[in-house]
Amino acid sequence: MDLVTYKNDVWGREVILGVSWDLLWVVIVAAFVIIAVHAVVVGNRKQKPRPSSEGKRIERHDGKDRIFHWVMAGSVIVLLITGIFPIVGIEFSWLTLHWAAGLVLTASVLFHIVRSLFWQDRSSMSIHPTDLRETVDASRKPGKYSIEQKGMHLAVTVLVLLVIGSGLVMFAMIDTPWWERTNALSEATLGWVFLVHGLSTLALIGVISLHIYFALRPEKLFYTRSMIKGWISEDELKAHHDPEKWPEDSA
Amino acid sequence: MTDYKHIGKDFVPPDILGKVTGKAKYAEDFRVDGMVFARLYTSPIAHGKVTHIDTSALDTMEGVIGVLTADDVPAVEAPNAAILTNSPAYIGDPILAVAAVDELTAEEAMTRIKVTIEALPFAVDPLDSLIEGGPDAREEGNIFVRSREGSGFRTVKWSQQQVDEFRAGKEPTGEFTDEWSYGDVEGGFANAEVIFEAPFVTTGYAHMSMEARTAMAYWQNGTCYVYGSAQSQSFWMPGLARLLGVEMSKVVLISENTGGGFGSKIGAYPIAALPGYFSKKLGRPVQLRITREQEYYIGSARVGFQGWIKMGFARNGRMTAADVFIIEDIGPNATGGDGSSAGGAVSLVYDPAAMRFRGLPVLTNTTPRGAQRGPGQNQIAAVMAPLMDRAARELHMDPLEIRKINAVNSDTTVYAEQLPVTSAYMTEALEKGADMFDWDTKYNQPRRNGNKVIGVGIGQGYHSAGTKGFDGLIRITPDGKIHLHSGIGNLGTYSYASTTRAAAEVLKCEWEDCVIHHGNTEANLPWSSYQAGSVSTFTHTRANYVAAMDAVDKMKAITAETLGGVADDYDIDGERVFNISSPAQGMTYAAVAARAIQLGGAYSGASYPDDIHEITQRAVQNIAGTGLIGVAKDKLAQEGVIPGLAAAFVEIELDLETGKYDILDYVGIAECGTVMHPQGLAGQMKGGAVWGMGMAGLERHVYDPQNGLPANVGYHQCGIPTYLDVPAVIRTSAVDLPDPQNPFGARGIGEPAMGCSVAALTSAISDALGGHTFGRTPVSRDMIVNHIAGKPQSFKPQQTNNF
Amino acid sequence: MPSYDVMPDVPLFQPAEIGDALNLVEQFGKGGWVLGGGQDTYGWLKDRAKQPTALIDLNGIEALHGIRQTDDGLEIGATTTLREIIANPLIKRDYELLASAASRVASPQIRNVGTLGGNVGQDARCWYYRRGLACYRAGGNLCYADSPQGMNREHALFDASRCVAVSPSDTATALVALQATMIARSVNGRREIAAEDFFVGPATHITNMTSLEPDEILTAVRIPSHWAGSRFYFEKVADRDVWDFALVSIAVVMTMDGDTITNSRFVCGGVACTPYRLHDVENAARGRTLSDESGDALAALASQGAKPLNYNHFKIPLMENLVRRAMRG
Repeated sequence: MDLVTYKNDVWGREVILGVSWDLLWVVIVAAFVIIAVHAVVVGNRKQKPRPSSEGKRIERHDGKDRIFHWVMAGSVIVLLITGIFPIVGIEFSWLTLHWAAGLVLTASVLFHIVRSLFWQDRSSMSIHPTDLRETVDASRKPGKYSIEQKGMHLAVTVLVLLVIGSGLVMFAMIDTPWWERTNALSEATLGWVFLVHGLSTLALIGVISLHIYFALRPEKLFYTRSMIKGWISEDELKAHHDPEKWPEDSA
Repeated sequence: MTDYKHIGKDFVPPDILGKVTGKAKYAEDFRVDGMVFARLYTSPIAHGKVTHIDTSALDTMEGVIGVLTADDVPAVEAPNAAILTNSPAYIGDPILAVAAVDELTAEEAMTRIKVTIEALPFAVDPLDSLIEGGPDAREEGNIFVRSREGSGFRTVKWSQQQVDEFRAGKEPTGEFTDEWSYGDVEGGFANAEVIFEAPFVTTGYAHMSMEARTAMAYWQNGTCYVYGSAQSQSFWMPGLARLLGVEMSKVVLISENTGGGFGSKIGAYPIAALPGYFSKKLGRPVQLRITREQEYYIGSARVGFQGWIKMGFARNGRMTAADVFIIEDIGPNATGGDGSSAGGAVSLVYDPAAMRFRGLPVLTNTTPRGAQRGPGQNQIAAVMAPLMDRAARELHMDPLEIRKINAVNSDTTVYAEQLPVTSAYMTEALEKGADMFDWDTKYNQPRRNGNKVIGVGIGQGYHSAGTKGFDGLIRITPDGKIHLHSGIGNLGTYSYASTTRAAAEVLKCEWEDCVIHHGNTEANLPWSSYQAGSVSTFTHTRANYVAAMDAVDKMKAITAETLGGVADDYDIDGERVFNISSPAQGMTYAAVAARAIQLGGAYSGASYPDDIHEITQRAVQNIAGTGLIGVAKDKLAQEGVIPGLAAAFVEIELDLETGKYDILDYVGIAECGTVMHPQGLAGQMKGGAVWGMGMAGLERHVYDPQNGLPANVGYHQCGIPTYLDVPAVIRTSAVDLPDPQNPFGARGIGEPAMGCSVAALTSAISDALGGHTFGRTPVSRDMIVNHIAGKPQSFKPQQTNNF
Repeated sequence: MPSYDVMPDVPLFQPAEIGDALNLVEQFGKGGWVLGGGQDTYGWLKDRAKQPTALIDLNGIEALHGIRQTDDGLEIGATTTLREIIANPLIKRDYELLASAASRVASPQIRNVGTLGGNVGQDARCWYYRRGLACYRAGGNLCYADSPQGMNREHALFDASRCVAVSPSDTATALVALQATMIARSVNGRREIAAEDFFVGPATHITNMTSLEPDEILTAVRIPSHWAGSRFYFEKVADRDVWDFALVSIAVVMTMDGDTITNSRFVCGGVACTPYRLHDVENAARGRTLSDESGDALAALASQGAKPLNYNHFKIPLMENLVRRAMRG
């Protein structure tokens, strides 16, 4: 199986065409296996009692962030459907939807970047070497975000920026209401852009599969609730986080 | 008019039967024991340098016999075409060849070869290269000047403003490399009643030879046998020997039939020598049959023009001055010269009192150019016709009248040197055509009928149509057969045969007793001219005439020697030499031939004139002692330009809603001296007419400027007219007045036959559109539709090689 | 570059029964190449621009050939030649539009062997694509024709999406106008597809011109009697009278009440990737009479929304003029 597909350019030279979409099945199977293994392993562990969702509520995500998250999630879902379905043989007029959703994603990510740069506590999401101890020492509790959550955020950040960056370049290569395509890139360069777009898409499919899986796991469902309603309970906070590391001003 | 036995009469050329039955053998039809098939790997890129060739995958491939690369053939200095190259300068430039047991295997082998090519800047429109900062088609420069004073690369750039002005139709102010003039040009314009300037573009297009060029070669005892696709026969020999790197005596060329050349196979072209080298390397016969697509790459194309012209006319319609500037698209191999020829054609056909020509040959990375029927003359004919109409309109004259006033006649002097012409009867051609066409009625008929409009046009064609100094060779054998040795080549015009009838005429023999030898060096052929440039008829009626006269002289001398008296006592007729005062006393040609063998010496070819070409000498040596030999070099008097002329009249009906026009009537008149072969002439006139219709409205090169890709590499894309695009009846005739410098009064006609057609059609289209001149060939449907709709054209002004 | 121009070794199947042919297309899937008259086959194969694993020749299957009357019109077998369609008296009498369109296909020689199925199923004629370049339509990631300097005289005015090639079929316009139904069969059964849905554009199917699946064979075309004997107009404008594809063509059907148009369908070829319906023209034509005035009024509607490329804006006045001509009394 190939990772990359090739074609001949206009002068017969071999250049990259893009990612091999055979990898899609690899990613889907791999994500399924990881999820299945995790589910089995965790299922066999002794379940801790769930913290109560009653009592004092502590805000975890404010409204703007929640809207951002769901706008981003929605646009990514549309992008994946419009991008992947035609490849697997479900054909429809996808291109305009795809780039429109891409623009929504780009705008929402820009919003988030600006907001996080100037109005949010970036340190709560940054990964410190000491965070790694959480993974081995069950007594060490994280601040606002666990190392897994930070890792997920980092992965999504990198992949979304890659997919947006490559997507914007590809956007310049098609006709839109604002410009006509330029065909300015060499075919070799264009191939790299398609490859980056394809690879980051595939990785996103894997990462998002895990994200959704964890979001739906019973013991983590309160996080999902917090992304919908904004709050977690004090019990949940204490059970999963170290209030000392979750400064009041960000709570 | 002289009453000829053969001249001016139809006959059946001996190759006709083979052509209509399919038995005729073309180069690709030959097979010899052990022969292998070669195929070409060509450049996928418009300009580059081959940095690496990896053929290792072929080492173990079954059926592959060998590979030939540029390293196996002589290197050639740019910009000349090589047999194979590591510096490709156009898409389709041959890089290597693979030989295999069959063509399929050879092509499969190609896909396993890895050729690495470093890309270089390229240009597919001369103006893109000419503009400052523009790419050069060759690393050495963007201009290549070929001249007697010295040839070489130059780099010429015009400023943005100069290019913009040229595009805007103004007189070019940029540098040029070629100039000639005669008369007082400024004074001519000063005296003119009407002056106008016009920009023009004639886009180049493929020669479209139906037989994609093929060659098969093998070596035997140090001699290379080449079965080629040649437009000329003997004329190929020096070039072919040079390409193969051997003495001319060590080359045998077999080219019995050729599926069209149209100027692209005049001399030996490099790829024809490839099988020779490959065969030497492999020790086996090799056939290379290039593909249809490759024929469009390496099969040559007409030179394109981007130009500007200024003309002045006196009140009576006489052209007082002309000023012509032409940028020539000379492709990557600097093959052209059409520009100056176009200037010459203006000088001859319209006889301006004063004239200047300036030219600039620009290299492009497009298919190599070559002479194509009326190279230069026919492009400018297409440009000039609507402009002559415009002059007539501005002077309130009939378009026929203005042409007659400026028509070339036997007293006209032409070109920069103001040379005389051998004879010229353009006025008579125009009058004959106008009469056949019923010009007055058609010109004055109501033109508009709903959305249809009638247009009428007149075109004039010219090409110099003869040369001199070649050899004739005939032989009479004791069986009474008259052997006519023709070294011209068999392009398809039948002139290889029709010119030998000059010898039959002199010998007053029956055609049935004549045998034509042609198409094979080993058929002992004399040194003959190129079969191109409309020269065959003039040149080889002369050569055959002098050879036959030599034979007649020898026959009379032999008869006198045998029967007594002196040669002048004898005459010939009925294939006998007889005593004038006692006709019963005489000898048959057969008997004379037998006697010639006994007598030897010059009679039997044991000796021969020392001024004949070495090719003729070798032929005579081979046939010496087999009969009576008539052989001579044409040293007949000849002075001045030998014009081949033609006039055409066309009527079209143009649909103003679709831009489509139908050709309702076409009359083509040849002015080629005495008509040698009426059917052959009609064929030339009709074929030329159809070709001109293609050039006027359909055929052109299209290149994608971003990638250098050619859009038309097949019959379909190239837009040649088909049977249903031309009139069902094409009427032709000839002036048929003898030229004094040919023993039978004949001149050539091939090229003007087309020039008059393209000109008449551009004239008629302009006429149908109320005098609008596009200044461009071809005038395509979209141009007409855009013009009528009042929309701009899609292309940039003066753009070329575009849709 | 190699030039090929030589037939590759490819297995040829010549089934005599439709069932065998269906099994073969099922077996070879995308690698199978269904062969009718072969006029849009050998070039692709010789150039290696397409590399099928098997040729499946339909010409030996009796059931796919011929023109039959049905309860509601006509059924034309997919391998019926264009020549047979032109010469058929029923088509001449009732569906002359189709005969006119077929008579303008390519050349007499090609019409003698070219089939209706092949004509409607033929691939795009974009010269870049035909050169074998890896463009969008060939599964690549760019369009060479629609670039700032692209040579795109023959390309689309409407409905382009990345690929700007046009539908080259002359009979397709007539079939869409006549509301024909395409019959497709596979081992899994039979599918009827309205002609208008049969031809698909690049927005949905960038590598296909039709909605046929790889395991399907177009077996027949049905023409309903709805438009039989109504007023027809077909015209194709091409560079040459032979061989060339339409720069613009038009196929029009009209039902009339006296001099008044009651219903019509206007379909243009050569302007979009599929036969292009002129809905606005059709709507505006209703209730009008045939006249130059009507023609002028409708012409302006024909080209609305056109997005010309570098070299094809001449198609706008051309299609407008063809509407004018169709409306002439």
